[in-house]
Amino acid sequence: MTTSKTIKVKTASGMIDFPTDMAVRIEDLSITYKINVDTKRTLKNAIMRASKGEKVRMRTVEAIQHLDLDIPHGSVVGIVGANGAGKSTLMRSIAGIMPPTEGRIIVNGKISTLLALGVGFNPALSGRDNIILGGLAAGLTKEEITAKADEIIDFAGLPEGFIDMPVRTYSSGMYGRVAFSVAVNMTPDILLLDEALSAGDASFKEKSFNRMRELCEEARTIIIVSHALQTVTDLCDTAIWLHKGKMIAKGEPEEIVDKYLAFLKVGKLPTSMEDM
Amino acid sequence: MSEEQKSSAPGEAPTPGFVPRIQVFEPHRASLPPLGSYLREFWKRRSFALELARFGDKAEYLESNFGKVWLILNPLLLAMVYYLLVAVLRGGAKSATGLTTLAHILIGLFTFYFAQNVINNGAASITAGGRLILNQAFPRTLLVLSSSISSFWQFLPTMPVYIVVVVIGKYFYPKTKLPLFNLSYVWIPLIIILLAITSFGLALIFATMNVYFRDTSKLLAYTTRIWLYASPVLWLPSMVHGWQRSAIFINPLGPALAATSNVWIEGKAPTHAEIIMMFVWALIALCAGGYFFISRERDFAVRI
Repeated sequence: MTTSKTIKVKTASGMIDFPTDMAVRIEDLSITYKINVDTKRTLKNAIMRASKGEKVRMRTVEAIQHLDLDIPHGSVVGIVGANGAGKSTLMRSIAGIMPPTEGRIIVNGKISTLLALGVGFNPALSGRDNIILGGLAAGLTKEEITAKADEIIDFAGLPEGFIDMPVRTYSSGMYGRVAFSVAVNMTPDILLLDEALSAGDASFKEKSFNRMRELCEEARTIIIVSHALQTVTDLCDTAIWLHKGKMIAKGEPEEIVDKYLAFLKVGKLPTSMEDM
Repeated sequence: MSEEQKSSAPGEAPTPGFVPRIQVFEPHRASLPPLGSYLREFWKRRSFALELARFGDKAEYLESNFGKVWLILNPLLLAMVYYLLVAVLRGGAKSATGLTTLAHILIGLFTFYFAQNVINNGAASITAGGRLILNQAFPRTLLVLSSSISSFWQFLPTMPVYIVVVVIGKYFYPKTKLPLFNLSYVWIPLIIILLAITSFGLALIFATMNVYFRDTSKLLAYTTRIWLYASPVLWLPSMVHGWQRSAIFINPLGPALAATSNVWIEGKAPTHAEIIMMFVWALIALCAGGYFFISRERDFAVRI
């Protein structure tokens, strides 16, 4: 039995030991939130309802329920599950965007995210300007992101001259390439990708996979949410299957994908493996 | 925001040059994140707000033929319209008094527009920054700050425009008592800072409301118009007396606008009441806006 080194971490319940070889530790995580289910989310509607003594119709969503998960450094974890399973909420909670309702998440390392296509690019600005903005949003200083800009531009591999043109002139593939390039070239310790591997053509996809393999070799941690199950089996060393906010299974990607497909009652068809 | 902790403990070095950087995400107490780390993160990332404002301005005026000229042209033309309504129809437009009225409307509108832009642009900043909010963890107050910075940059060039108008006016009406370049100008930075803080606090409130109720920004367009008429912009503070003066002080922007008029039009320092009320409104707006916004930040990612 091997024992890993630990460091002391301050939490709300006091100091705890945290293994240094762990990238992410999720303890009894629950995330709930309320959403307004009224068709008209307007002040006028709220006032009209209040005048009639009615309340705004809210629904409580239990996106994640009592989830425990350890992700060691150097892992590539794939998360599969149907729509509404809580995959994106889980990614956002690891990134610190959506704090827990219960439980705790401990993250050890610098996070880079690609959780929403477009990442907030300003369509009127050039790709180059958006790269600078993207880096600053990710927490880099202007000097740091300026130093990395050429590397990011090279990786994105846009046709000649496009990088200085407004992003609104880009095709969706070019848009996705720049966004992906920003995320993977931030030298992250932990990379979170939500449906981000479909950007670009076959050649860019190959380049993306190679870059992620490089990151794995450097023992960086990658967490991928993908409906393209082939991607999960090709890239990941562990997979988890989420359903309605609960972890149904965790294990070898092939085994998890098989279980998930059996649950969905679909076979390993090209359509199911590439895009579900 | 999480409590970020650094440790010098030798880790298992998962990556070359890896420094353990621990972030702990736990449920917020009383809906608020740990305020110390939130404010530290806010300060650390201030350059992001600055650059976002700079790039936002660049994008906004890239495709406009007149570009930033509109920033001055818009309030200038509006001032002319109000001047026609207030001075010309009332008579005495072509006089030294007419020049004072024009100067008061001009500086009042420029200053009010600054506050209005901070509030309106700030109110829309969260819903407009949707994808950024869904993709990155950072204090969302930075988005409102960014739009406030942008509004300040838009306000700055209006000051020289006012001075040019007054210089030209004084040439044609040398008997005017309208002051220019005097000691009371030292109050201008304080007035602008306190007005900016008040407007920023109000922007935080309206930005939060806009996430929950998407017609808030539309409603603001009408609210600020009424607000303008209720503020000492089209009327001089010296025109109201007794209990009517309370209209200036119960208006969060009122004391700063009255002080602006005192400094630019009367050439006097703001009154004690104006100074005290400017501080009071800045404190109330910042605390109430800050609490309302930060306590609801968690919801933004699911309501955008």
